[in-house]
Amino acid sequence: MIDLVLDGVTGSTEIEFDERGLHHRHEAKAADMPAVAAAFRTARFCLEHITCLDLRQVEEVGAFRVDYQFNRIGNPLDRHVVQAIVTDAATSITAVYPGADWYEREVFDMHGVHVDGHPNLKRLLMPEDYTGHPLCKDFLDEDPERHQLSGVVIEPEEAAGGTADA
Amino acid sequence: MTPLAPSMQLVPDEQDSETYYLNMGPQHPSTHGVLRLRLHLEGERILGVEPVIGYGHRAHEKMAENRDYLQFLPNTSRIDYLSGMIYNLGYCQAIEKAMQIEVPERAEYIRIICGEMNRISSHLLWFGTYLLDLGGFTPFLYAFDDREKILDILDSVTGSRLTYSYGRFGGVCMDVDDTFLRAVADFCDYFAKRIEEYHKLVTHNVIFRHRTKGVGVMGADLELDYAVTGPCLRAAGVARDVRKDEPYGIYERFDFDVVTAEGGDCLARHMVRMGEMEQSLKIIGQAVRNIPDGPVMAAKVPKRIRPPEGEHYFACESGRGHFGMYFRSDGTDVPVRMKLRTPSFVHVSTMPVVLPGTMLADTVAILGSIDIVIPEIDR
Repeated sequence: MIDLVLDGVTGSTEIEFDERGLHHRHEAKAADMPAVAAAFRTARFCLEHITCLDLRQVEEVGAFRVDYQFNRIGNPLDRHVVQAIVTDAATSITAVYPGADWYEREVFDMHGVHVDGHPNLKRLLMPEDYTGHPLCKDFLDEDPERHQLSGVVIEPEEAAGGTADA
Repeated sequence: MTPLAPSMQLVPDEQDSETYYLNMGPQHPSTHGVLRLRLHLEGERILGVEPVIGYGHRAHEKMAENRDYLQFLPNTSRIDYLSGMIYNLGYCQAIEKAMQIEVPERAEYIRIICGEMNRISSHLLWFGTYLLDLGGFTPFLYAFDDREKILDILDSVTGSRLTYSYGRFGGVCMDVDDTFLRAVADFCDYFAKRIEEYHKLVTHNVIFRHRTKGVGVMGADLELDYAVTGPCLRAAGVARDVRKDEPYGIYERFDFDVVTAEGGDCLARHMVRMGEMEQSLKIIGQAVRNIPDGPVMAAKVPKRIRPPEGEHYFACESGRGHFGMYFRSDGTDVPVRMKLRTPSFVHVSTMPVVLPGTMLADTVAILGSIDIVIPEIDR
């Protein structure tokens, strides 16, 4: 077993696995993520998922946060989550983990967070001509037809003002 | 380190008149739903592939943010409609773990029985439709006949055939009776013989072996690169199973093996799933013998489901692999974020490295063998 040597992270804490299902939490700068991911890969961790949280309304954070979850291959289980607060853009780790490709595209699609260095950053789940990013907390669907279907009436200026366009 | 597949940027080249692009899907019978593969071909040989997903996107993650934890429960059966029971019970267990709710013994055993029955029905549907993809019609009729027996048994206790919503936070919503347990035991006896028949009918069939042996190799290295899990990984000889690695519920009490195979090709994936059905029967047999009497719901379940603040993760083994729920609670009734890590999503994302170099006709065999469920990819 290769030991995990993490340099680029700050604020590492241990978590109670029986309560949370995670062992360690780290914080990292978005720009340092490729180096952090490479350290995990060297120690033979797999990338379980990447996700983004819209924490712009949370006072302590006030921005988007991208979470990367790694798990050691083989026993014993060792599950780490690295949280990177994104002020400008996230940094792609596809060069380290090819599997990050779709997760990063999903983050871009759903939250509008730009991922620097991604080779093919485009929408994944929503149509290419779609506007807005559905998982933003202030997202309002712009398509008037869909509002008619749901019975919710949104005034045009309200819809325009509430669109998250990051 | 695997270089990024060139197919990630599929741009037609004006100068190149020897190759062409072909859309497979979104309405193609062997994609089992609305999945589109943009294939770059030279004759019949695949040079690159770009899966295009999202046709069945229903925004389950957004829905989770707009309703409380109990209201999201019915959604979980609909993410992967073939492993509905496993997802449903897995979600309940995730919330129970976060809230530290004790589940009665009897409910735990019922969960094991229903979950494993669901796994067999999921593998049976795969078995039937996969052979249909490969051009064999008869096994489909056999498999669906047996699957219908499972659905009838689960229907008798849950009231539905696919989207069960049977679990509750703290147990299950309905107790099972002796008729149910007898029906399960009878099915196990019956199905053990049927698996032998399946092996005679399909596994030893020379046409089937020619179409699957050595086709669509997904190596063990895909675990590090893509975090491939489930039967696809075990077919490459890696014995990884969430039920063994991080036992949830009462799985650690049961005696069963993690089925693996060598080669990582379509035939190996077939062998793993056949073996897993046998192991599921073994687990169900132990559960039916040892199920205790007692209540099926915890006496004290908080009226308001408010998990402690912060991030939680829970993983379970679905019919396709590692299904994970990563959610953040802010101490209110509604989650801040509910990320669903689904196995089929990962498996389809490996297609740009698995498919190139194979023949167009094998695409159907390879895509079928990884057992994708489109609603789970699109969520």
